[in-house]
Amino acid sequence: MSRENIQTITLSLLILFLIFFIGELATTNGERNKKELSEYEQLMGLGEPQAHVPGPIEVLKLAVKELSHPFYDNGPNDKGIGTQLFYSILRVLAGYLLAVVIAIPIGFLIGMSPVFYNALQPYIQVLKPISPLAWMPLALFVIKDSILSSVFVIFICSIWPILLNTAFGVMSVKKDWLNVSKTLEMGPFETAFKIILPAALPTIFTGLRISMGISWLVIVAAEMLVGGTGIGYYVWNEWNNLDLTSVVFSILMIGIVGMGLDLLISQTSKYFMYQE
Amino acid sequence: MKKFLEVNQLAKKYPIKGEKNTFLSVFENINFSMQKGEFVCIVGHSGCGKSTILNNLAGLDSPSSGNIIMDNKNVKKPSLERGVIFQNHSLLPWLSVLKNIKMAIACKFKELSTKEIEKRALHFLEMVELQDAVKKLPHELSGGMKQRVGIARAFALAPELLLMDEPFGALDALTRGKIQDKLLEICEKTNQTIFMITHDIDEAILLSDRILLMSNGPQARIAESVHVNIPKPRNRAEIVNHPNYYLIRNHLVDFLINKSSEIAKGIQNNTIDDSEMPKNVSFTNTADLENRKAM
Ligand SMILES: Nc1ncnc2c1ncn2[C@@H]1O[C@H](COP(=O)(O)OP(=O)(O)OP(=O)(O)O)[C@@H](O)[C@H]1O
Ligand SMILES: [Mg+2]
Repeated sequence: MSRENIQTITLSLLILFLIFFIGELATTNGERNKKELSEYEQLMGLGEPQAHVPGPIEVLKLAVKELSHPFYDNGPNDKGIGTQLFYSILRVLAGYLLAVVIAIPIGFLIGMSPVFYNALQPYIQVLKPISPLAWMPLALFVIKDSILSSVFVIFICSIWPILLNTAFGVMSVKKDWLNVSKTLEMGPFETAFKIILPAALPTIFTGLRISMGISWLVIVAAEMLVGGTGIGYYVWNEWNNLDLTSVVFSILMIGIVGMGLDLLISQTSKYFMYQE
Repeated sequence: MKKFLEVNQLAKKYPIKGEKNTFLSVFENINFSMQKGEFVCIVGHSGCGKSTILNNLAGLDSPSSGNIIMDNKNVKKPSLERGVIFQNHSLLPWLSVLKNIKMAIACKFKELSTKEIEKRALHFLEMVELQDAVKKLPHELSGGMKQRVGIARAFALAPELLLMDEPFGALDALTRGKIQDKLLEICEKTNQTIFMITHDIDEAILLSDRILLMSNGPQARIAESVHVNIPKPRNRAEIVNHPNYYLIRNHLVDFLINKSSEIAKGIQNNTIDDSEMPKNVSFTNTADLENRKAM
């Protein structure tokens, strides 16, 4: 292992230790304060022991417990964290893949034809900045299904980065490479698949990665809104139960799954990168 | 002898931005022809329109007026019969050296099997001595190696006419010399018809049968066509001893330094008649000198 690697790992562990230490310190302070509550406050139940920000050790204990049987299902209000994450991932993938299938061909079209580009540009510019959650009421009314509505919201938020990056990637294909295809007498389909697509793939993957990131951000919020299942609903439900340990634990899990999804795409994109 | 390639009254104009109905005329009245197997270089100052002429020959660009006829057919769009070696090699960076060439071969020789395509690709890579780099990606190659891959790709397609736009412009003198030798050797074997742009007059004399000289732009012309009367095969060490070498070289230098701008002025003032252009220039009197030496 190189010297730099050792330094990196040491620093990383140090940060982890600091988080634990400060976390523990900050939260035990909170508990001590509660013991010094006035009689009035105790009477009013303001110092309820279960409603407090949990320390790292508490969260860790819960994590071990939850992750040892993540997929249990005891009815609508008691599902394992794995089950909830599974629902969320499923929705994200459904909306996301739909966006991929639609955005890449349209992006290609926009990138290849200035007419399409200019014609669609104003619509894209207006639709793009709309918060995906703003679509939710309309989606619920039209689709009349909360699960499909959150899939739609994911779809609508992932489509723009993929669309624009595909178009941009296609537009910035080097003229020299297109000249190569012309002098080789390639037809439009051959040019699209053998020259433009491989040339644009790195840029397309940038879009795919951004969209996946946004989708994972949005699904949590969407599920808080529509309820039922999913990690977003789970967080909100635990908040209603005032179980902050579970809230912190699920926040952590949201981060880890998000990182996993991002890693999945960035690793895949490595196969399509090229260096000039 | 039947002309293989004929360029008639070629002209290129660009509209000037912001001014209606005024045009920048890059070149006009360009006339020249080429025979099968001929190696022709074109030399001229930067911006006179050499690349534009080459792109017109390739069919990647179209002239404002005039026409180009190759093998009795009008040149209108790019074709596999006209190979191009671009200045910046233009290999596809996501394909290995071998795959770059295989893809090109597959486009031209559709009847070949995968095995035959690979065999042909390897043959031409060996020709440019790159058999050890077949698996490499273009960015892993030096500039000279990339240019050699470009040459291999172009020759593997066996085009009727090969067009080269300053193929060695970006290389250092040593590498450039080596690749020129390689090109000489390959041309000797294949008798490839080549049209090449260069800024290097020694390169032009070493490689070509004829050198076209362009006057300065705008309204550039091909003013002269200089025959390189030095027998082939040539090699760089001996060619300088040929009595025609310095005659030709001095003529080219004089043209580029003095005449190219004088002609440009003359054309702009209408004091020069371009109907006889390009003027054929040939240093034939030394040919018997050569014979006498041989005796
Ligand atoms: N799209 C364009 N619009 C306007 N003018 C252009 C355009 N393309 C080329 N030109 C002009 O045409 C002229 C010839 O360009 P060209 O690239 O053929 O020159 P060149 O002889 O190849 O020069 P160099 O030796 O530097 O490569 C230049 O003066 C350039 O300004
Ligand atoms: Mg040029």
